[in-house]
Amino acid sequence: MAKRVIIVGGGVAGIQTALTLSRRGVPALLLERESELGGKLTGWHKLFPSFTPAHEVLDELRHRLNESDVEVRTQCEVRHVERNGVTLASGERLAADAVVVTTGFTLFDARVKEEYGYGIYDNVYTTVDIERMLNEGRVAMRDGSAPRRIAFLHCVGSRDEKVCQHHCSKVCCITGVKQAMELKTMFPDADVFNFYMDIRMFGPGYEEMYRDAQQRLNIHFVRGRISEASPTLEGRVQIKAEDTLTGRPLKMSVDMLILIIGMRSNASNAVFAADAGLQCQPSGFLAPRDQFLHNTESGVGGIFYAGTVTAPKNIGESLSEAVVAADRVVEYLKRV
Amino acid sequence: MNRNWKEYQKEIADDHYYYARSCIRQNFFPGSEKAFLDIMRNDLNRDCFDDPLHTSCTGIGYHADIVPLDTIMAVVARQFALMGEAGYENFISSCITSFGIYTEILATWEEFPETEERARENLYKATGRTLVKPRNLAHTSDIVFHHREAIAARARHRLVNVLTGEPLRVVEHIGCHYAKIFPKSGVGGSEFPYVLAGMVESWGGQCVDYPERRHCCGFGFRNYLVQANRGYSVANTQKKLESMAPYKPDFIVANCPGCAMFLDKWQYTIAEMEGTTYGENGHGIPVLTYEEMAGLVLGYDPWALGMQMHQVDVEPLLDKMGIEYDPAAKYLGMNGKYIGQPASAIVNCGSQDTIYNIKQ
Amino acid sequence: MGKYFDMLMEDVRFREGLKSCMNCGICTGVCPAAEFYDYDPRQIVSIVQTRDEEQIERLLKSDTIWFCGECMSCRPRCPRGNTPGYVIQALRTLSQKLGFFVESEKGRQQLALKRTIGENILRTGYCIVPKLVAPALHPEQGPVWEWIYRNDREIYCQFNPTYGQEGPGAVRRIDEDTLQEMHRIFEVTGGRAFFDRIEECSDRKAREMGYDGADQRYFMDVFTRNSQNNDE
Repeated sequence: MAKRVIIVGGGVAGIQTALTLSRRGVPALLLERESELGGKLTGWHKLFPSFTPAHEVLDELRHRLNESDVEVRTQCEVRHVERNGVTLASGERLAADAVVVTTGFTLFDARVKEEYGYGIYDNVYTTVDIERMLNEGRVAMRDGSAPRRIAFLHCVGSRDEKVCQHHCSKVCCITGVKQAMELKTMFPDADVFNFYMDIRMFGPGYEEMYRDAQQRLNIHFVRGRISEASPTLEGRVQIKAEDTLTGRPLKMSVDMLILIIGMRSNASNAVFAADAGLQCQPSGFLAPRDQFLHNTESGVGGIFYAGTVTAPKNIGESLSEAVVAADRVVEYLKRV
Repeated sequence: MNRNWKEYQKEIADDHYYYARSCIRQNFFPGSEKAFLDIMRNDLNRDCFDDPLHTSCTGIGYHADIVPLDTIMAVVARQFALMGEAGYENFISSCITSFGIYTEILATWEEFPETEERARENLYKATGRTLVKPRNLAHTSDIVFHHREAIAARARHRLVNVLTGEPLRVVEHIGCHYAKIFPKSGVGGSEFPYVLAGMVESWGGQCVDYPERRHCCGFGFRNYLVQANRGYSVANTQKKLESMAPYKPDFIVANCPGCAMFLDKWQYTIAEMEGTTYGENGHGIPVLTYEEMAGLVLGYDPWALGMQMHQVDVEPLLDKMGIEYDPAAKYLGMNGKYIGQPASAIVNCGSQDTIYNIKQ
Repeated sequence: MGKYFDMLMEDVRFREGLKSCMNCGICTGVCPAAEFYDYDPRQIVSIVQTRDEEQIERLLKSDTIWFCGECMSCRPRCPRGNTPGYVIQALRTLSQKLGFFVESEKGRQQLALKRTIGENILRTGYCIVPKLVAPALHPEQGPVWEWIYRNDREIYCQFNPTYGQEGPGAVRRIDEDTLQEMHRIFEVTGGRAFFDRIEECSDRKAREMGYDGADQRYFMDVFTRNSQNNDE
C-alpha cells in the first residue's frame, strides 16, 4: 500500500507541497483550517514586484489541485502533530507516514502598538486593510474623502524588542513600496511618505521598484521610525518622528497612516514542538535542522517544513521551498 | 470620537496606607494633601499614616543630577524602613517624581541585586535602620482611582455642566514618570493611562484626547530649576496648551503636582508675555489636582481645598458645576483675617489692572 | 575598550540604558528637548556606542548632555530596549566626577542646582520649601504666588496648623534627628563628596574665568546666563 503524507496548512506552500508529492506518486492529504484554501494570499490584491494579481497565482494553484488526486479537507484544524500522523481539533486521529507542516505565520496585531492608535483613531490602517480596500476598488479616508497626504510606517511588529519581535519580517519593505506606488497612482496629487529604518530590497526587481517609486512617482522616503500618532480635531493623524538623515525631529499631520505589519510566529508552533520534540527558534518560528542542506527538515524524522512556518518568506520562496520539501519527503519515504 | 482608554489594572491596596508627601504638592497644593487624607479617613474610613519622620525622596535633586544614585537609594531605603517600623506595608506617594523614583529603585534592586545590598548597608551604617520593601506601591491617584466608585456614590456634585446637562470636557495630564518609565506600573499603561480618565468618567465628565496629550508639561528639572533654561519649560507647556485649546476643555486635571503647577503658572506667563490666553472669555483654563477634583465632587469648599492658591481662577468651573462658594472668602487668612489680595492678571476673571509685569 | 566607556559601564543606569542602537530616531521624534534645542538624543547614544574616547570626552565637556529634561519619554518607545535618558544620567554623573561639567555653560549650572535644591535638602529635608521660590527669582510664578509667599503662615496654617513646626502635615519642620540621618546618608553614600566636588571644580573654573572663585556673582551668572538668547 502506498505511503500517505499529510500536509498541515493549505496556503501556497501547502498546496505546492501536496501537488508536487502527488505528481511524484505519493498520496497527499491537505488539511486546511479555513473553509477555503489559499492562506494569507486570499484577499491580497497584487504581488510585488510585478503587480501580478494575487488571484492569478491562487487560481492556477487551485486549478492544478483540482486536476490532481490530492485529497483536500477544509475546516479541519490540526491540534497535535506527530511523526506518524496528526490529531484534529475534533479529536479525530489521522495516520500518515510523514507530515509536512506548512502552517505559515500570524499577522502582527497592530493594536498592540498602542502608541499608533490602530483601532482607536480614525484613519490609521494596516497594510492588510489597504489590500482589502484595493480589492474593493475604493481606498478612502474614514469620511470617504480622498487622502492628500499618506504615511507608511515600516517595521510595525518587526525589529521591536518591546513586542518581543526581534526579527525582520523581510517582505514588509517591498510591500510598503508596492502599496505606496499603488496609492500614489490612485491619488497622483497626494504626498506619499515611507518612514523606514533600512530598506531591504532583497529580491529580483525590488531595488528597481524602489528606484521607480522615488524617481517616477516621487514617493518620499524618510529614514526614521515614527514615535507616536495622535488624532487631530479634523480627524487627521499627527505623527512624530526624527528625520535621522538630517538629525531633525519632524511632526506632520497625515490623512492616512498605514502601518506595515510584520509576521509573527504561530502560537501553534510551540504546541507542535512540544508534541513531537521539534525545536522553535527564539523568534517562535519552527527551526529547520539547519539553514543550508536540511532547511525543509525538522530535527525529527518524518516531519518536514515548507514556507513561512520556519521564517518570513515571500510567495516565490515559499513555492520553491515546497518543491524541495516534497523531494525530501519522497527520499525519506524510500528509506523507511 | 472613537477612543477607548484601556483599563488594565495593577494591584492597588485597599486600606492601611503609609503616606509619603511630595515636596511640590505640599508647597503649591497643601490643601490637596490635606483633602486626600480627609477623604480617605473621613469619607472612606481608610487608615493613612502621616509619618513626621519621613523626608523628601530627593528625586528632584536626583533628576537635577546632583544627588548620586547610591544616595537616593539610601534615602528611599530609609522611607521604606520607616514604613516597616510604623507597621505598614502599603507605601503610597503623593508625587509622580517620587513614584517614578520608588518604582525605578525597586526595579533596579531586582535587576541589579548588588545595588539593593549596598543600599541596605548604607542605610544601616548611616541610620541603624533596616530596609524592608513595600508589599504594594502606589501613587495617591491610584488610591483615589481605586475608590472612585465609592466617591461617586457619595458625590454632591458631578462633572457635568448644570446649565446644559452636558458632561464637562476634561483634559487629563498624567505626568511622564507615572508610567513612561515602567508602563506596567500605571493603571492603563503609558499610552492610554486610565488613572485620571477613570475618575473623570466615574464622576460624569468626558476626557478629551488631543494631539499633544502624551507630551511632557515641560518641567524638565534643570530646565525649570535654572532660570536660564526656563524657555524650554514654558515652550513645552505652550505646545500642550496650543494643542488642547481648540477642544475647549472646561478644565485640566493633573496627576503630578509639578505638572499642575506648571500648566497653571505658565498660562499666566504666556498671557503676560504674549497676551495669549487659552480658556473661555480670554481667561485661563482652570488646572486642578485630582484631590481637588475629588474634593469638589464630594462637596468640599473650594477654599478649604486650597484652590485660591491657583493663578488661574477656578470660579468659572465652580459655576458650571453649580458649586456654591463665597467669593469674598477666597483670599482670607486664618480665621477670616484679611491679608490683602493678589494683584489681578490677564488670566484672571477679575479686573484687568495688571500691575505685575513679567518683562520687568 | 576605552576608559570612559568602562567608567560609564560601572553605572547600572548605563548598563540598563544602552544595549545597542540602530539609529531609528524614535527617541528624538518624541523628545521635548529635541524640539526646543538643537539636540538629538539618538546621536548621543550613537556616539557613546562607538566607544571612541575622544568623542566621549568631547560629549562630557559639551552643552549637549545637559539639554535633556529627564522626562523619560524615550524609554517606552525604543525598539531595542535602550533608554537614552539613562545614558544621559550616566554621562552627567561622569562629567561631574571628572570635573568636565565646568567646561560648558549648561554644565556649569550644576553649581546653581547644588546650591539651591542640594543645600535645601540638607537644610530642610525637602527639595523645595516655599521660601526657596522667591518671587524675585521666579517672576513666572505670578501675583498669587507672590501673595502666598508674603503671607505664607496665614495660608499654609489653614491646611496644616504645624506649618514650619515639628509634627505631621504639609511643609512641617523636619526634626533635627531626621536631618542628622539625612546628613549621614549623604556622608556614607558619597552625596556629600559629590556636592563638594561640584563646588571645588566650579571654584577652579570661576577663577580661570576671572571671578574671585565660585562666589555669589558667579552663582548668579551661571543661574541666569543663556548665551543662546544673547546671540539672538
